[in-house]
Amino acid sequence: MLTDPQDHLAHQFPLEGELRPTFSGLSDFLHRVEDMIVKELAKNAKSHAFDGFDVNWEDQNETVSCKHRLQHLVAQEKGLHVTSISWSCTGSVIACAFGRVDDGDWSAEKSCVCTWNLDRRGLNPKRPNTVIDVARPVMSLSFHPTSPSLIAGGLYSGEVVVWDTNRTQDPVLAQTGMSTDAHREPVYQVAWVPGQRRGEMLVLSAGSGGRVLLWTVDGGSLVLSAGYALVRQQVPHNSSLSKGRGSSNVGVTSLALSPWDSDTFLVGSEGGLVLKCSFSAQELAAAPPDGESVALRAPAQFSFSPRGGPVHSLHYSPFHRNLFVSVGTDGLARLHSLLQPDPLLSLRVSDSYLFGVRWSPTRPLVFAAATGQGLVQIFDLGRKSLRPAATMDQLTSGQPAYCMEFNPCQTDLLAVGNADGSVNIWHLSTELTEQGHRETAQLEQLANEVAE
Amino acid sequence: MAEVEETLKRIQSQKGVQGIIIVNAEGIPIKTTLDNSSTVQYAGLIHQSVMKARSTVRDIDPQNDLTFLRIRSKKNEIMIAPDKDYFLIVIQNPSD
Repeated sequence: MLTDPQDHLAHQFPLEGELRPTFSGLSDFLHRVEDMIVKELAKNAKSHAFDGFDVNWEDQNETVSCKHRLQHLVAQEKGLHVTSISWSCTGSVIACAFGRVDDGDWSAEKSCVCTWNLDRRGLNPKRPNTVIDVARPVMSLSFHPTSPSLIAGGLYSGEVVVWDTNRTQDPVLAQTGMSTDAHREPVYQVAWVPGQRRGEMLVLSAGSGGRVLLWTVDGGSLVLSAGYALVRQQVPHNSSLSKGRGSSNVGVTSLALSPWDSDTFLVGSEGGLVLKCSFSAQELAAAPPDGESVALRAPAQFSFSPRGGPVHSLHYSPFHRNLFVSVGTDGLARLHSLLQPDPLLSLRVSDSYLFGVRWSPTRPLVFAAATGQGLVQIFDLGRKSLRPAATMDQLTSGQPAYCMEFNPCQTDLLAVGNADGSVNIWHLSTELTEQGHRETAQLEQLANEVAE
Repeated sequence: MAEVEETLKRIQSQKGVQGIIIVNAEGIPIKTTLDNSSTVQYAGLIHQSVMKARSTVRDIDPQNDLTFLRIRSKKNEIMIAPDKDYFLIVIQNPSD
């Protein structure tokens, strides 16, 4: 069993300058106040004066409601699905990528990326503020963490593109093109990660070819900076894994970056694997070289117990460094600790596939899951019952809800992208967004439980 | 000084005490039981709050002066015993 290296040690904080400074009068001061403060602390610990006392600083929102239903008619007419959504760093703009999630060769399908500015007056939910035409289906999208006009996208063809929505002529700022370094298979995940230099951001892309690649923006091109290849033979065997049939590549269907440790990331695969990986891994990947300009490394360090189907979404808890949740086609949401292979908790969310999972940014015990039946189920782990705390019907006539993202600034807004080409913006109730008393402690308790 | 450490230990052992910080007259922390970044954050912000509270009391009545300050929040309570040269800051979660 792994041990958690992070320990919270209290220590004394010495003053700079003199070696052993004597604080004149400090002892006397403490002598004067000690009795009084000890009495007050004891009284406070016993007091019931404030029991059940709550203050409402914000307007209380009793219900969950759908604020906007955003649609791009051209994309809907073509039957395109919303494959990925992303909020700008300011929280004002929501971007969505159109593509296809079902089987078939959609490589020649034209699609687009649309953005709506929700804070702008005269918002027309049926008319995006920006429409970027893309020659191929877009499978993943990510706004730059500090530049509100830059969006990275991963395409069905394996290309990775960065668009600048401020550019009027040609929004493409940089792209990988079809170089030998590029992915050959759909890119299901893109993200921005900090680079070596201050302020530098790299684009991370991961796809079903089993490659996780890091790109720098250089002129009009995305240049490969580092790369990782996930190969079945190099996956750590912590639990019984069936001998792989078919391709030895581990196709990546989901990826999560750790908000706690910039070196670690999680990968979910087509075959149901969930792997803990490291950017600083040194071992070379056992993948045959394919003309890449950078030596690919094997990043996987730890295997969690595998799922019975593709892992569609992973998310690290924003409140606990060792917790993450994963969902897949088995309809279960699994709560994992990074320290052990078996899950802490397995929740049956739906009889259908689950496509997305996101922890609440404000309530440590709450997460949302998007189902193949077009529902978003919200769970509160603090409740006794394991039934959802709220169910949000995406009104897609049973078509799947594919992706969800919480607004980074207005944390009570949740955007959901659906198979019918719509993006619904939900306003969550105060109950689902306001952190309760002792919630972080309850989460800590959960994290420390050992799986049976 | 052993006496100072003993006193801090006694205060720390009270029920629910999460941290103790002693700041000097300039608001610079000189003793703490918390990590560096929390200490620096608390010290700066609380020093400002104490000075504001003190001026509030003295503006209302120049013959009066601040003797103790308590800030109660959803998650915990901060108690501050001010003095000419030092402030004692204790953070307590009374329901712990």
